[in-house]
Amino acid sequence: MNSEHLCWMKEAMAMAEEALAAAEVPVGCVFVRDGRIIARARNRTNELRNATRHAELEAIDEILADAALTPARTAYPLAGTTLYVTVEPCIMCASALRQMGIKEVFYGCENDRFGGCGSVLGVNSKLVHPKHAPYKATGGYLREDAIMVLRRFYITENANAPIPKAKVNRVLKTEILPRSTSGPANRD
Amino acid sequence: DKLSVLDTQIRKYADGNPQEVPSEEDLPFTRIKLYRDDEEDELSSVRTQAAWVVDLPDARHTATMLQWLKKSGLETPTMSHLKRIRKQEARLTVLLALTAECPQVPTLPNVPALSEPYVIEVPSSAALTQISLKHKNTFWPTVYAPRKKGELEGWTRGRALWACEAMRRTVEEARAAAERDELPIAAHVPVPYETEDREATQMSTSFLGHDTRTSTGHPLRHAALNLIRSIADFRASSSRSAAPSPSPSSVDSPTSFPLPPIAGEAPAPRNGAHYLLTSLTLFTTHEPCIMCSMALLHSRVKEVFYLVPLAKTGGCGSVACLPALKGVNHKYNIGKWRDCESVPGWAEEEGIRINDDVDA
Repeated sequence: MNSEHLCWMKEAMAMAEEALAAAEVPVGCVFVRDGRIIARARNRTNELRNATRHAELEAIDEILADAALTPARTAYPLAGTTLYVTVEPCIMCASALRQMGIKEVFYGCENDRFGGCGSVLGVNSKLVHPKHAPYKATGGYLREDAIMVLRRFYITENANAPIPKAKVNRVLKTEILPRSTSGPANRD
Repeated sequence: DKLSVLDTQIRKYADGNPQEVPSEEDLPFTRIKLYRDDEEDELSSVRTQAAWVVDLPDARHTATMLQWLKKSGLETPTMSHLKRIRKQEARLTVLLALTAECPQVPTLPNVPALSEPYVIEVPSSAALTQISLKHKNTFWPTVYAPRKKGELEGWTRGRALWACEAMRRTVEEARAAAERDELPIAAHVPVPYETEDREATQMSTSFLGHDTRTSTGHPLRHAALNLIRSIADFRASSSRSAAPSPSPSSVDSPTSFPLPPIAGEAPAPRNGAHYLLTSLTLFTTHEPCIMCSMALLHSRVKEVFYLVPLAKTGGCGSVACLPALKGVNHKYNIGKWRDCESVPGWAEEEGIRINDDVDA
C-alpha cells in the first residue's frame, strides 16, 4: 500500500478523532492538491443540526470560500484535487464530488448503508452522467482504524447523565472481518 | 393572461368538499412506487435502523417508565411503527429513541435497576404483511399496518389544494430567481397541512429556497440543499436562545428565508419531534439531482413533489430512485406532477425550463 496515501489518510484520521472528541459521527477528510493539504474537515451534523454537513461538504465550502484556493470560477474547481476520507463517501457526497470534478478519492472503510462509491450505488463512475466525468475511488486505507473509531463513537459514555453508570453490557469489539475481496477495494 | 395549468388545478380543488377523498387519477400528481408490499416477505429484506433501548428488570415500574417516556420528548413520529416495550420471557426492554434522532446516550429517569441504554437494530417501517410482521418482530415488536386497496393516505381535496398552492408558490420563487439571473429552480417546504404535523414539527412558517450556483460561483448551491440549510440554521438558532440570532452568511443562503418567530412564541423544543425535515413535505420545480435526493433522505423528509422530471440527472425516479434503494435507513414518498409531462411546452411557459443535463 502506497505510503504517501497512508500518510494523507493519517491526517484524515486525525480529523475523525477530532469529530469523536466533539461528539460527532467520527468521519474526517483532507483534500490534497500539488502535494499539500488544502483543506481538512470533519462531520458537523450534530452541531449544525444539519444532516448534510458531512466532512466532504464542509471542506468543499472552505475551498470555494478561499480566493487563494479558488482564484477563478471554473466548472470543475476540484479537477486537480484528491480526496482522502476515512469512510467511503455517501451517495450525496459522491455526487457532490463528481459535480465538482474531483480527480480521485481514497477512503478507509466501506459504507454499507449509504456508500456512493459502489457499496450501495456507484455514483462515482457506474452511474452515467451527461456531463460530469467519472472518478476512481479506492478503499482499504487505514480501514481498521476507520472502523474502530466509529465503534468507539457508538459506545461512548454519556458524561451528561445524572448518575453515570458503568457500561457492563457494552463491550468494544475489536475483531474486524475482512472484506469479501482481498486487498483494497477498487471502486472505479 | 391565460390561466396556467397550476391555476386551473387550484380552481378545481378549491370547489367542493375539502374532506372528500378524490380518486387516484384525480390527484394532480402520480406517485412513484418505492417497493412492492410482498417484497417484504423475505427476512433479509427487513430494513432496520439503530435505536437506544434499556432493560427494565422490574415490571412494576413499567407505568412509571412509560409516563416518563411520554414526557421525555424522545418519542418522534418516525417511531410510530414500533411498539414501546418488548417482552422476552420475563425480560422487559423499553424503546427510548432512534440513534439517528438522538446520537447521544439518552438520559434515564430515576427508576430502580434500569440497565445502561444500549443500541440494537429495529425495523425501519411498519409491517405490510403478516409474514413480514413475523420477521420484523424478531428485531423488535412492530405495528402491523397493511395497505388498504386504493387507500390514498389522507389525500383529500383540501390537501390536494394545499399541494397545488404550495407548488404554485414554488414556481413563483423559481421565476423570481430567474429574474436575478439564477437558474429557475426552487424548493419549498410549506407549513404542514395537518394540525398534528404542524404542532409536532413546530413549523409555523414556510421556507423557500432557490438555486444560487450562478451568483455564488459554487456548483453545489442547489435549491434543495440551500433550503435544508435554511431550515437547519433556523432551528439551531431558535433552540440556542430565545432571542433571534443573526441570519446565516448571506453568501450561502437563499435570499427569501423567513424570519425566526418572535421570542417566547415558540414552545419549548421537543427532542426529535422537530428533527431535520421529519414529517415535512418538500415541493420543487425540478426533480432533485442525486446529491440533493440523498440530502433529503439524510434529512428524513416525509415526501417530495416535483414538476419537471430530469431523465438524465434526477435521483427521485429517473437515473436512480434513492428512497427505493435497499439498505438506506429512511424512505420518503415521491409524487411527480401529472400535467407537466402531458402538456407540451409547460415548463417553458411557466418560465422554468432548464437544460436536460443540469443537476437540479
